[in-house]
Formats: sequence, structure tokens, C-alpha cells
Amino acid sequence: MSGCLIACRSLTYAQRSARALENAGFTATVLRMPAALSDSGCGHAVKIPERMLAESVALLRDHGLLPKKAYVLTEDGLYAELPL
Amino acid sequence: MIYLDNAATTLRKPPAVARAMGEALRRGGGAGRGGHEAAMWAADTLFACRQEAAALFGVDNPERVTFTANATHALGIAIGSAARTPGRVLVSGYEHNAVMRPLEALKEKGFTVEILSAPLFEPEITLHRFEEALGDGGGVSFVVCTHVSNVFGFILPAERIARLCHAAGVAFVLDAAQSAGCLPIDAAALPGVYIAMPGHKGLYGPQGTGLLISPANALPEPLLRGGTGSRSADAAMPDFLPDRLEAGTHNLPGVAGLLEGLRYLRRRGVDSVLRHERALTESLLRTLSRRPRLRVYHADHLFCQTGVLAFTVEGMDAECIAEQLAQKGVAVRAGLHCAPAAHRTAQTFPGGAVRVSFSAFNTPRDVDAFLRALEGLL
Repeated sequence: MSGCLIACRSLTYAQRSARALENAGFTATVLRMPAALSDSGCGHAVKIPERMLAESVALLRDHGLLPKKAYVLTEDGLYAELPL
Repeated sequence: MIYLDNAATTLRKPPAVARAMGEALRRGGGAGRGGHEAAMWAADTLFACRQEAAALFGVDNPERVTFTANATHALGIAIGSAARTPGRVLVSGYEHNAVMRPLEALKEKGFTVEILSAPLFEPEITLHRFEEALGDGGGVSFVVCTHVSNVFGFILPAERIARLCHAAGVAFVLDAAQSAGCLPIDAAALPGVYIAMPGHKGLYGPQGTGLLISPANALPEPLLRGGTGSRSADAAMPDFLPDRLEAGTHNLPGVAGLLEGLRYLRRRGVDSVLRHERALTESLLRTLSRRPRLRVYHADHLFCQTGVLAFTVEGMDAECIAEQLAQKGVAVRAGLHCAPAAHRTAQTFPGGAVRVSFSAFNTPRDVDAFLRALEGLL
């Protein structure tokens, strides 16, 4: 998996976030959160290109959507949390 | 059939409703239950419907739009959420059993129900009754009010009652069963209000659908608990909407159909529907009001009335009239309309009334056909 994941509290929140990003011309996809990153099971995330993280987070905050955490898949197959 | 029972369920829907339901059956999986194509298609459909409803009702955040099985389900959640502290519960007197029966059950928990018995088609007096009751010694736990009487089409002053409640810090539950899709509703003008509505009446969706719009920042009490596809390791229900109120697999075909009903309304315009239904009601009223033995319940110039008209016939049983009309291929509703409180308030209890209710799809020819059928009975 390339790109990074923005963790969302719910599927609908992820959909709102993705829609806000898409409306601004960004690429965003809603997907299930990898189990390793889901602190209480069954979560959703928005996948975006890693280079767009800062801009995406800023845009989401402008829309009142507050990303919880962001992760990137590292070369060793583990997820690393990215600073927001 | 001449169908004039739209206040119960709109029978004729935009053609896209049935098409969307069929497509949902073929393509949709369990929304939020997987990342595969079928599950995500379902999730997209639910989200599109939330967004469409939010746009139609002026809701700033689609997470505040919750899917329910019907208006009764939505009202059950809203009333359960508003009933935090035992006290006085105020109602107008035109409420449906979907409101009155949950309130009856609350009496066992120390709530008292005050029926304000607002006179029919008198919105100013109605407002004054709420104003007085809210200022009368306090202790009001919450207010429930129907937006439009399902029996008489009386439009109650919901926005002004909401402002009174907001100023008094009292929770307000609005039963929009007969107004959603029939009257413009702006949730932004109803701060702190739970708005409950069915999908199968004025929103032109299928039976088995409903919506609850929760106030901003509210954390309603679930009526049903179970799987939500989110935070599955937690024993408790999620503390965020809409998941908190949507346990179990969604009625995806229903929501897909409802989405098309909402889209139809946005294209046509709720104002346009209201004008159309009122024109039909006026036309019917002009003839009915000239008939001897008939008592027709209507507002002056229909200023606070939707496309619903109730009448009684001296010496004739309301149910028998409806039955005979049905035999002539005309569908209306008679009796107490699951709203004995409304009939008591309007003094049509226990005999009830005959109710004619229009939709966007009725035509003047339906009015003529109804009048011909009724003429044969009188």
C-alpha cells in the first residue's frame, strides 16, 4: 500500500473527509483501517498521497474535520505514525 | 384507483425510487462491514442519502442525519433522548400515538404529560399556550409537538415554539411526519430540536425508512444496541453519530429508494409541492363546503394547512364512508388516524373523520373522481 492513511472516527466521518478533499481536487479514498492501527477494532480511514498530507490536513481543519492520526506504510511493512 | 391516502403513505413514487431499490438489491453489501466493492457501494449510497437529506433540511453536517425504520422509531429515539429528567412534558394536543404512547410509558418514570389543547387552525393561540406553559412555574422536562396534524393538516408554529424552548433551555422534539417534503423545513431555524420523519410519506421513499435529525453536538440515547461496523472491540455503543443510533445492517434498498425520493423533491422544490397540494385542497374545499350535512375542517384560505382535508357527514359513520369509497376505487382514510388526542382536541372523538390527503402526483381529475364517488353516497 502506498500513500498515507488519515484515521477517522467513523465511516461517515471518513466519507465527509474524503468528499471535502475531492471537492478541492485532491485524490482521496475511503477504506477500512488496517487492524494493526485500529485501537478498538473496525475503523475507517481516508487514503491520500503522502506528499499531500500537510495540505490535506489543513483543508480538513478548515472544514471543521479534525484528523485523529495519520500513518504511512514504511519499507519494512510497518506503519509509522506521521505528525499532524 | 384514485389514491388520496398520502398522509398514510404516498403510493405513487418517482420511477427512480423503484429502480434504485432494485439496483441496491443487486449491488449493495453491508455498509461499513467491509472494504470490498459491494460494501463500499452501500456505504456510498448511505452517505449520498445523508447528504441529500442534509441539503434538503438545512443540516450543516450529514452525521446528524440518522436512518431509522420509520418516524415512530425516530420519535422513540428522540423522546428517549429528551427525557433525561422527570418533569412536565408539553404537547399541543394534535400528537399521533407515535408520540402519545411513548409519553404514556414515561409516566411510570415520574413524567407528567400536559396536553395544551390548542384550538384547530389557531397558530397564535397555540404559540401562546406553549409560552404560558413554559413560563408556568418551570419544571418542564421537554416539549413534543407535531409539525402538521396528520388528521387536519393544521400547521403548528414549530419554529416559534422551538425558539421559546431554546430560550427556556428545554429540549424540543418535532414530529415532522406530515411536514417533511410537504413544507419547507430548515433545521438551522430549529436549534436544539430533534426532528423525526418517515421516508415513505412526503419524501417519496419506500416503507421501512425514516430519518432522525439530531441537534448539533447532541449525544442521543440509542433505542437499539448492537453491531455498527465501528469500534467493534468496545462493549458500549459508539459515542458519535450516526453509528450510535444505527445498530444492525441498514435497510439499503430502502435508503437507496429514499435517496431518489429526496432527489426528486430537490429538483421539484418543496414549495412547488406545497402549492400543488394546496391548489387541489382548495378545489376540493370549494365543492365540499357547499354540501349540506358535511362539516369540513379547514383554515381560512388554508393559510396554516397543508394538502390534508378532513370532514364528517351528519348521520354517517366515517369508516363506512371510507369503505364505500374504497368499493368505488377511491382510497381515503377514516377513523381516528392513530391520533385520538387530535380528535379529542378538535372534538371529533370518538367518531373520527374522513381524511383526504394529496401528494405531488395527484391531479385535478383525482379531485373530480373523488367528488363523483362521494356524491353517490350522500
